[in-house]
Amino acid sequence: MSARGFEATNAATGNGPLGLVTRLALRAYSLRWVALPPLVGISMFALIVGAVIAAPREAVEGEVQRLFYIHVPSAIAAYGAFFVVFVCSIALLWKRDMRWDAVARSAAGVGVLFTGFALATGAIWGRPIWGVYWTWDARLTSTLILFLLYSGYLLARSVAEPSDEQAARFGAVFAIIAFADIPIIQMSVRWWRTLHPQPIVFDPTPSLPGEMLIVLGIGFIAITLLATWLIVLRAETESLTLRAQELRARLDRREERGMGRS
Amino acid sequence: MSAVRAVVAKDLRLLWRQRSGWVSAGAFAAITILTFSFALDLATGDVRPLLPGVLWVTFLFAGIIASGHSFVQEQEQGTFDAMLLAPVPRTALYLGKAIANLIALLTIEVAVLGLATILFGITLLDAELGLITLIGTTGYVSMTTLLSTMGGQARARAVLLPVLSLPVLVPLLIAAVRATGGALGEPTGSAPWMLLLSVFTLWSLMGAALLFPLVVER
Amino acid sequence: MDHLEYLFAGFAVFWAGLFVYLLWLQMRLRTLQRELEQLQERLEEEQPATAPREVAAPAEGPTSARTAERGV
Repeated sequence: MSARGFEATNAATGNGPLGLVTRLALRAYSLRWVALPPLVGISMFALIVGAVIAAPREAVEGEVQRLFYIHVPSAIAAYGAFFVVFVCSIALLWKRDMRWDAVARSAAGVGVLFTGFALATGAIWGRPIWGVYWTWDARLTSTLILFLLYSGYLLARSVAEPSDEQAARFGAVFAIIAFADIPIIQMSVRWWRTLHPQPIVFDPTPSLPGEMLIVLGIGFIAITLLATWLIVLRAETESLTLRAQELRARLDRREERGMGRS
Repeated sequence: MSAVRAVVAKDLRLLWRQRSGWVSAGAFAAITILTFSFALDLATGDVRPLLPGVLWVTFLFAGIIASGHSFVQEQEQGTFDAMLLAPVPRTALYLGKAIANLIALLTIEVAVLGLATILFGITLLDAELGLITLIGTTGYVSMTTLLSTMGGQARARAVLLPVLSLPVLVPLLIAAVRATGGALGEPTGSAPWMLLLSVFTLWSLMGAALLFPLVVER
Repeated sequence: MDHLEYLFAGFAVFWAGLFVYLLWLQMRLRTLQRELEQLQERLEEEQPATAPREVAAPAEGPTSARTAERGV
């Protein structure tokens, strides 16, 4: 960032703690291309080593339990991504800058991807343990609904042009509804599964030994960083695509005016 | 307040003029009940466990399809854009639409409940069930009215509306089905589900009313 | 009792999924690249003198990502 840029930012954000945090965040954001790839690489490597080798073997379930270190962080990362969609949707409706839509779409794509990972690893983990690929467990079912919900968002945005402002606004409103609906969906699915007689009952996750918690923690960090990196990659591409389309539109207009004159 | 009344009156008049569309929706609902009867073999044995689900799926599908159609017609005739130019508060526009849709769908649902009473020999026209139906229908109509306004532009809107609305409406479906089951005699009773249903309906109504102005501003 | 094949399948799904997503991302980047090349051509047709200045895309963005990746 240039010296003038620094001064301008300092002036804009002020001297209080909020200003400091904003400046730090902007600084971190400007370093994203340099910082994210190595951080993601190191943390993902640590996760793989931890999950496959370092973590202790689970007594009851065996090695397959190691999928847990991907399954749970993926779900958390997905929620984080959907929160990003929520925030960007509000920002889009407030500021009307289409770049927020680019970030929202990217975050939704990454969110759906990691929800898919959570569902897939959950099913693959479940098959040898429970005997079935799918149980109508409250959390799995809520996750499936979440997957379909945001897939719908992606579908709705894909039938319109990325630069279509009205479609972007519609998507933003839907994303706000969807995010606000998440807790209600989870609550209602849980009630549905517990206030209703069931053949199979699952114990809640027992408390984990320390080493497993450490690997799980690494997993959270690694997969959240990975998701962040993927969102940033896609969002930048989409932003640049928007600018390219803008340039194209300006060129078209200039050509038309040129042709009119001659 | 008078603005809302005026908009509701206009939407009801529109409803009346487009009644062929709504009658088709009613026919669709009746056919859906029949289809379920064949598919789930509702002719034999106790229908009670399946009936709440059958009823609410029918209501939801009929409601979603009807909402989509009614908005498309209004858009194509340019009357909706004219309404936006008038000095009417956006929320009034929304409420007018929603109330009109609600009345139309309640009519269809009462007819379906009557049909089901005859077909399955179970009294379905009682007060508790009526209340559940009223709250539940308000819940999903408030959401589909908003979503159909949004989907109105897309070419794939016919398929898009169910794809968007159904995941959002899952809590309502669960609560309405379980509450109806409770009203029909399930041991768990309908009280906790009525609570969830009412909460969802309130949330949906407030959320949709607040977000509608954002959707229609140009 | 270890069900190693499932463990392998689970990790494989994760990596394959990531790989496919990255490939798709790359595809969009290539589309963007082609679009920018087309725009450059069009500018050069009209005003050969000013073309390079206008379409010089900023150095930030995916190009930097690639440089950063190569450095890792």
